[in-house]
Amino acid sequence: MPATDIAIVGFAQTPSRRECNQSEVQLLVPTVTEAIASAGIERREIGFTCAGSCDYLTGGPFAFVSNLEAAGAWPPISESHVEADGAWALYEAWLRLQEGDIDIALAFGSGKSSPSDPGEVWAQQLDPYYLAPLGVDPVSLAGIQARALLDSGKATERDFAAVVARSRGQAKTNPNAQQAGDVDVDTLLAEPYYRAPLRKHDLPPISDAAVAVILARGDKARQLCSRPAWIRGFDHRVEAHQPGVRDITTSSSTTLAARKAGYDGGPLDVVELSSTFSPQEIVLRESLGLGVDTNINPSGGPLAGNPIMAVGLVRIVEVASRIVDGSANRGLAHATSGPLLQQNLICLLEGE
Amino acid sequence: MSDTTEVKKENMVMEHLVSLTYRERLTPNLNRFADCLLDGNIVGHKCPSCGRVYVPSKGYCPLCVVATEERDEVEVADTGTLTGFTIVTPVAYYGQEETEAFVYASVLLDGADTPLGGMDIVGVPHEQLRAGLRVRAVWKPKGERTVQGISNRGWGGLDSVIEAFEATGEPDATEDIFKEHTF
Repeated sequence: MPATDIAIVGFAQTPSRRECNQSEVQLLVPTVTEAIASAGIERREIGFTCAGSCDYLTGGPFAFVSNLEAAGAWPPISESHVEADGAWALYEAWLRLQEGDIDIALAFGSGKSSPSDPGEVWAQQLDPYYLAPLGVDPVSLAGIQARALLDSGKATERDFAAVVARSRGQAKTNPNAQQAGDVDVDTLLAEPYYRAPLRKHDLPPISDAAVAVILARGDKARQLCSRPAWIRGFDHRVEAHQPGVRDITTSSSTTLAARKAGYDGGPLDVVELSSTFSPQEIVLRESLGLGVDTNINPSGGPLAGNPIMAVGLVRIVEVASRIVDGSANRGLAHATSGPLLQQNLICLLEGE
Repeated sequence: MSDTTEVKKENMVMEHLVSLTYRERLTPNLNRFADCLLDGNIVGHKCPSCGRVYVPSKGYCPLCVVATEERDEVEVADTGTLTGFTIVTPVAYYGQEETEAFVYASVLLDGADTPLGGMDIVGVPHEQLRAGLRVRAVWKPKGERTVQGISNRGWGGLDSVIEAFEATGEPDATEDIFKEHTF
């Protein structure tokens, strides 16, 4: 459990778009500025900055260095970068704040998937001996997971379609969503397979977007925000890299991370999951022990917008924003990294 | 004891060639930079907050952290000052096409606050190169210019428009041009 009270007091995100013709830094500049403004602070009050991104997405070596320009890195600032989703950047910023010598930190995540082929890029994160040379892409892996889920009897194709229909319907009220609208489960099931047993709508869209969050400690958080979203627990756990040695119908690292974050199975007003493919919502729901009436992904989740390297931090912002505006009091956000939910992060948030 | 087979090193090495394809549109600020180059003009953005001129434009000022727009566009001269250089003596390696020593110079154009990097300097013996040397662009003929090499990375690709820089013959610039700049 955290040694000190730390809360989210400001945030901003861009809409998810299929192709944004600005650079990643250009996406970040107004986003970071807006997050700072929403917290009501001056840029120079930030004691630590951490960014999450992946140079493979735009093919720009050291692109993450340029991204830092969005934070305002002159005069020099104290900063760090994670080659991971912005949720892990927030985790590092949260850890840094626990040192107790600074009061405010900035974390951001950004990604433009539009210039590359995700199937080509993400095959490279697999082991270089067995899977990467085969060019196993995320959609094929997700198809294998979906098949395992069907074979285990834990879900049906109708369950997958129900996740999609619900997500797109909920996304209608999210101005940042890329895919939203009313769709009917039977209509979805009548669609052809894309990578059996997955249909095209079981896949997330390809997205460009950026997101930024301001964290503050103790009294500073109370001073800046009338209703801060307090981080009550934050943890991430990792499983074997090779999907073949895991039970992919469940996510033991998610279960463990939730327990270590202090989630006790109590009621949650809102849950945002990085369920990139529709079957993964069923896997994560089981791993977290969430009941059928749980309010999952009211934003529409990754099926409504999937800006890789920002999508996990967006989940945390979606929960935090509902706590800050008073519509929720306790929520859980999930982020993931690696092939087929290899690494999972849980952030438990609460109002005062 | 069973027979042990000697494992050769080449049998332990696996070749794994990776090819990733990227397709992108130039950002609006770089698209405009490229279009103007084809016409023989060099444009950048002037920060509305601090007045610094970025060539090419990044679409924002990294010092003030404000976005810059088309209305902030300014044209700069094709003359400037050599602010730093390296003489590269190529060694043979895969992909190296140069065989003779060549120059990699930074040129601060008149009216700009950021130098163009990786420029060639012609007509000046290498031993006479110096920071402060006044230079002008040697443009390729209009029909031969291409901007394919310009990318959203924000550097490179200029040599298919501007062949090199040559000395103007003016007196050297003073060290004042280095003030407030990092090259």
